[in-house]
Amino acid sequence: MPARSEEELVEELKREHPELLVEAVIHRSKRVSIVAKREKILELARLLRDKYGFTHPVSAGAVDYIKEGRMQMIYYLMNPESRFMLMLRVDLPRDNPRMPSMTQVWEAMSFHEREAWEMFGIDFEGHPNLTHLLLPPDWRGGYPLRKDFKGEGVTP
Amino acid sequence: MDVVTLIWLYILSLVRWLLHEAPLQVINFIKSLPTLIPELLKWLWDFIWFNFKPLAQIIVIPGLAFILLFAMIAVWFERKFLARAMLRIGPYYCGKRSGWLQVIADFLKLFFKEFVIPDDVEKALFLAAPVLLPTIPALAITLIPFDSNWVLFDAGGLSLPVFLAIAGLAPVIPIFAGWAANNKYTIIGSFRTAYLYVSGEIPLVICAAATALLAGSLDLVDIVEAQRPLWFAIPQFIGFLVFFVGLILEAERTPFDVPTAETELVIGWRTEFSGVLFGFTMMAEYVSFLGWTLLFIVLYLGGYLGPSLLGVPLYDHIFWMLLKLAVIVVIVVLIRTVYPRLRLDQTLRLGWNYLMPLALLNLFITIILKWGLMI
Amino acid sequence: MTEPEVKPEVMRISWGPQHPMSGQTRILIDVDGEVVRRIIADIGFTHRGIEKILEKRTFIQGIVPIERMVMADTANIALGYVQAVEEALGIEVPERAKWIRSLICEMGRINSHLYAFGLQVECTGYFPAVFLWTTVDREVLLDLFEKLTGARWSYSFFIPGGVRADLPEGFRDEVKRAVKYLRRRFQDYWDAMVENPLFEMRNRGVGILSREDAIRLGATGPVLRGSGVDMDVRRDEPYAAYGDLDFKVITEKEGDCLARLKVRFHEIEQSLNIMEQIADEIPGGPVRTKVPLFPRSKPGVEALSRVETARGELGVHIFTDGGMKPYRVKINSPTLRNMYVFERLAELDKVLVADLPVILYSIDPWYLDCDR
Repeated sequence: MPARSEEELVEELKREHPELLVEAVIHRSKRVSIVAKREKILELARLLRDKYGFTHPVSAGAVDYIKEGRMQMIYYLMNPESRFMLMLRVDLPRDNPRMPSMTQVWEAMSFHEREAWEMFGIDFEGHPNLTHLLLPPDWRGGYPLRKDFKGEGVTP
Repeated sequence: MDVVTLIWLYILSLVRWLLHEAPLQVINFIKSLPTLIPELLKWLWDFIWFNFKPLAQIIVIPGLAFILLFAMIAVWFERKFLARAMLRIGPYYCGKRSGWLQVIADFLKLFFKEFVIPDDVEKALFLAAPVLLPTIPALAITLIPFDSNWVLFDAGGLSLPVFLAIAGLAPVIPIFAGWAANNKYTIIGSFRTAYLYVSGEIPLVICAAATALLAGSLDLVDIVEAQRPLWFAIPQFIGFLVFFVGLILEAERTPFDVPTAETELVIGWRTEFSGVLFGFTMMAEYVSFLGWTLLFIVLYLGGYLGPSLLGVPLYDHIFWMLLKLAVIVVIVVLIRTVYPRLRLDQTLRLGWNYLMPLALLNLFITIILKWGLMI
Repeated sequence: MTEPEVKPEVMRISWGPQHPMSGQTRILIDVDGEVVRRIIADIGFTHRGIEKILEKRTFIQGIVPIERMVMADTANIALGYVQAVEEALGIEVPERAKWIRSLICEMGRINSHLYAFGLQVECTGYFPAVFLWTTVDREVLLDLFEKLTGARWSYSFFIPGGVRADLPEGFRDEVKRAVKYLRRRFQDYWDAMVENPLFEMRNRGVGILSREDAIRLGATGPVLRGSGVDMDVRRDEPYAAYGDLDFKVITEKEGDCLARLKVRFHEIEQSLNIMEQIADEIPGGPVRTKVPLFPRSKPGVEALSRVETARGELGVHIFTDGGMKPYRVKINSPTLRNMYVFERLAELDKVLVADLPVILYSIDPWYLDCDR
């Protein structure tokens, strides 16, 4: 498949699949950000992998926007042909952060999703092995990277 | 009479004996001493003189002192040599710059260290294995001739097969030790040992058989004497190489130290041993290396033969034996510095695919050679 | 991590953290005889929460904790963070500072690759020579670091707006001398490792990662390039002075442990070339722009900076909220990605117990980087 430049990708996505996106912007050269709808994320991810060639998963992580009451899960993806960073984002409600697991599309997101699960409490549906990665298995101290984490009395 | 009275009577009679008869006997003994002592000394002198040879063989060479000293010197040399290759100095503070006391210090430390026996081990085997480990190759060493009549254990003209039989017992002990320690690393290590010995020992035996065939005798002294015109390393060149690789393999040294592979299996079947038990297992490595090297020298490098330097034939022969031993040790340690460890499958492939056919080829060549000579 | 179930036909071995070669991690392996059926990486023994710590530090204070991620390669790691801060705060960097940054980054890369060599050689049981040779040769670079930055290991030399100091007098000649010395030494390494038949036997065809799998599993750095994927952030997205420098991206086709080793080897040659170029052609000018000690950010800005460290691509994604501290720092660490590849290798290729340390150290893991 032909490698698309940043503009072409954003234009084509907006034109052909507006129902999957909330927005798609170019931050600067080689940085594209797509905010997906939570219900359609799996569909969009498959589309990105199969049609747009984003086969190289880089990383994933979350941000906790406590004032707005949401969390944002970010998947960093790359197309080995065009080589710009695609950030696939999805907004989750903070009181019930729950989304389908991207391991069904990119297997290598497994470690990163496990990290987000233990650090932010985001529940990934369909993850094969959602257990502690960096924290000890008997960790009971809450979610360390959330903004309301106090870090008191958490020793297991 | 009850028991108490009996005891009292016994004590009283003892006291009476002490007071009345004992002094007399002591005085008599002291009076006869001047005649007794020379008799005793003479008996001791006769004993030593009469048994000088076996005693020297048991204690000095090729006995206990030789084996222990070899282990110590080999360890010291290896540490210094490896340190040089690694751009280090090696043992430095104990015993001036050469660091020779370090080996003794380490030995003492290992000896007096508490050894831990883990739960759930097969205790009897676990304790017996480190003791048996150096003993079996040491037994085989007693068969090695250092002179035509300086053999500790005379096997009646069958010393080569007896050597191979005793040395063939050695792999059983690591297997038991690994199993008895009840640890996953040790069990993998001990099975690797089993594989390794089987693949290494058969080519060795075939090579040894070829030399025996060439010499026309199974006695090690006869084999050495048959090399007076020419060392067997030349007519048996293939066997010489195969035996050399096989002896490194048998002694579990780099590049074939698969059973004790540190980077994979901690230290293989030795993992659970500590303190003096570990010391014994380490010594066993050097003793078995010594045994196979001595056999190698006897079979291929002319054993104790060499030009006379010291005048006394016995000393000459022992000197040549030790010199050849030293050369082989240096070569083997050098190999350790330049090669990594092979994998188990690669080692086995080497044993079965290369050493074994080469050893057989060598045997056939020897048979044809011998047959041609007879015609 | 909770241990997964063990199947009855295999034996589960806990390989580390108390093991001569495992380092600060635990690897569970299911072995069937000598064959490894499954690898489970239990990382997290050195997790220090650097991402959380960075949220509690001001922008400039954050340089020190983030350097603790990879001690052998602090320059590249710090550069990732500093560049992200610069982008988020809109700070310009003078040209000479960029060149000095590139110089230190390449020296750090050589330093780190030397360590990686040593470990990969040591884990084949070839312990005497090469590991200590590399340690000794690293001294040349450490002395240069000391001369330039005042510290041998974690030098916190990059700050937003440039570097802390200019090159000392005569430094360019010393760089050239060091390059000449290292070139000579690398011939020795090539002879001792790649030309050594037994070492080659242990590494060739071991842990093969195909091109497709390398892309699919998100490998990075020498692991990715060793599988024939031509990806290098330095060229794809030039930062610091790499746009003006002349270098090649090294790839090898085989995808085995030897290929990864060779990639590191040739990368060092390229790094030496770059060092020479910088010593020859570095432009003049100031080395830093004035930046307030506690710079204040604009709200809602985010900046993702990517750098090519010795282990692969590092991404630092900074989110700001208008304060003096970053709102959130997301670190995409290279070793975490490569550890996942390592975990899957037992399914992709036949792995023996003896190959395990070789494969593990061919991905050049740095557990502090992995756990953050």
